Amino acid sequence: MQKTAVAGFGCAGYHAVRSMREHGYQGEIDVYTNTQWAPANPMLTTYYICGKLQREATLPFGAIKELSQKYNFHIITTSVQKVLSEEKAVLLQDGKTKYYDQILISTGARAFVPPIPGHEGERVFSMRTIEDADYVRKILEGREIKRAVVVGASMVGIKLVELLYARGIHCTLVDMAPYIFPLAAVPCVAAEIERRLTGMGVELAFSKALKAIEEDGQRVVFADGESISCDMVLMCIGTRANTEIADENITVNRGIVVDKRMRTNMQDIYCAGDCSEGCNLQTGDNQIIGIWDNAARQGETAGANMAGVVKEYEGNMLHNITHFMGMDFIGFGDVKSEGEEFLYENKEKGETFVIRVKGNKPVCMNFLDSYGASGVLKAYMINKFGGAGRQMDSVSKVRLLNEGIPEKLINFLESNSEEEDEWEK
Amino acid sequence: MGKVIELNADKCSACGACAVACMDQNDLDVTGGASAFRIVRDLEGADGGYEYYSIACFHCEDAPCISACPCNCLKKDEETGFTVYDNENCIGCHSCAMACPYGAPCYGKDGKMIKCGGCAVRVKNGLEPACVANCPTGALRCVDRTECEEL
Repeated sequence: MQKTAVAGFGCAGYHAVRSMREHGYQGEIDVYTNTQWAPANPMLTTYYICGKLQREATLPFGAIKELSQKYNFHIITTSVQKVLSEEKAVLLQDGKTKYYDQILISTGARAFVPPIPGHEGERVFSMRTIEDADYVRKILEGREIKRAVVVGASMVGIKLVELLYARGIHCTLVDMAPYIFPLAAVPCVAAEIERRLTGMGVELAFSKALKAIEEDGQRVVFADGESISCDMVLMCIGTRANTEIADENITVNRGIVVDKRMRTNMQDIYCAGDCSEGCNLQTGDNQIIGIWDNAARQGETAGANMAGVVKEYEGNMLHNITHFMGMDFIGFGDVKSEGEEFLYENKEKGETFVIRVKGNKPVCMNFLDSYGASGVLKAYMINKFGGAGRQMDSVSKVRLLNEGIPEKLINFLESNSEEEDEWEK
Repeated sequence: MGKVIELNADKCSACGACAVACMDQNDLDVTGGASAFRIVRDLEGADGGYEYYSIACFHCEDAPCISACPCNCLKKDEETGFTVYDNENCIGCHSCAMACPYGAPCYGKDGKMIKCGGCAVRVKNGLEPACVANCPTGALRCVDRTECEEL
């Protein structure tokens, strides 16, 4: 009988296994996981801490035990030390080697904590796993926390600020970048978010390099000599792909490089999810796009191919969404790109968005409190990357007009396309 | 295999009967700010003529909202193929709205997602979706996906 190993059981691992079975895979599946709390969604940790979601709801597809019956797989809790790609084997932590016909690496990513002095202090936390959430929850419930420092003006960082702010804890949000959401927000949108946060009493300390954490997490010291005293420090600088189990034959950049079928460069070794580098549709390069939806699509694609059904996933563009403290931010595409900007403001509805266009393509979009048009424009943008024509389809126009988007903006998008089309002729 | 609600734009006059039926069927709190799941609008064509549209969820076969939801609130109804939901665990993150190329997901006063579920319960009981049943020109039809013509 055919045998498959799945190393890691997050969103991608789950979707791969489900997809294999749905595509008729009859062989054995061994799922390696170092946590029984799987497949969990890291994005839900702060909702669990604040009590908006019950613990069980952080497992959106159900618990692994039930899933192992539904999709007929073995759960193996011994960690994988290495994937031996030529032998198609996994070397386990206990020294044993197990051989397979194909292997999926879906080990995800972990919170990255820079190795600055004091980063392992008792009151220094990160936020990725349910264990992290339990830990922070216990601290918040057990001790009197008055001041907290959140390092990293990221999507995770802001959710922690929201959580702490709601508990009346004074928060300082720190980043080396000059403004909030540096990987996703355009300056004018970032400035508006910052204005609101400051108005609520959240302290912002940007363009600040972290030097050390002292007193077990009760003092944060910056490179410029300034420091902040606090009761806890939350580190949300970013994530790192868990690629260490890939052996030296497998091509790894920041993530494990995959093609449209989620195959690595080594035969029968697949990879999906936050540890993989699929195609960034905007640049055409391989890049980690660490988003829940992307992991699901990649997992599904890997599973189909592992079941012998050819399926391709074209890739994705960078995009982010977060809602916090009564705000709603969405960012698409490359924020560092240059182009002509169109600012849309609807003061009555309190909506703002920015569309940046270069040549015949939108290159970056930001939406503040205006998610209504985001889906249509995201699809438009991705289609443009794929070489779609200049016209927006009628259904999209109807939706945008209904959202109150002025025709001027739609014309702006289409006319920019036109110029390029003319140019190409 | 599943059902879809198909619009024949040539027959549509944007009268709004479908939207009213939708509000009624789904008990939408219109005075409280909710909109019908179905939007109705005219669009000026390039030739100066008008086209009329009634648009709601397209119940995509491979629906992007389903995989985008971080809480697994959305799914395909096995019997009808409509994209249905249980918003108990909805955190109101708007990921589904961002994923939907048609902008179909809406949100209630509590911030939780609501959307057109194709009136799946009606359809399972041999009735038509409310919008279809109330369309006076026959522009809306509930058909099997295979019968669906290009919009």
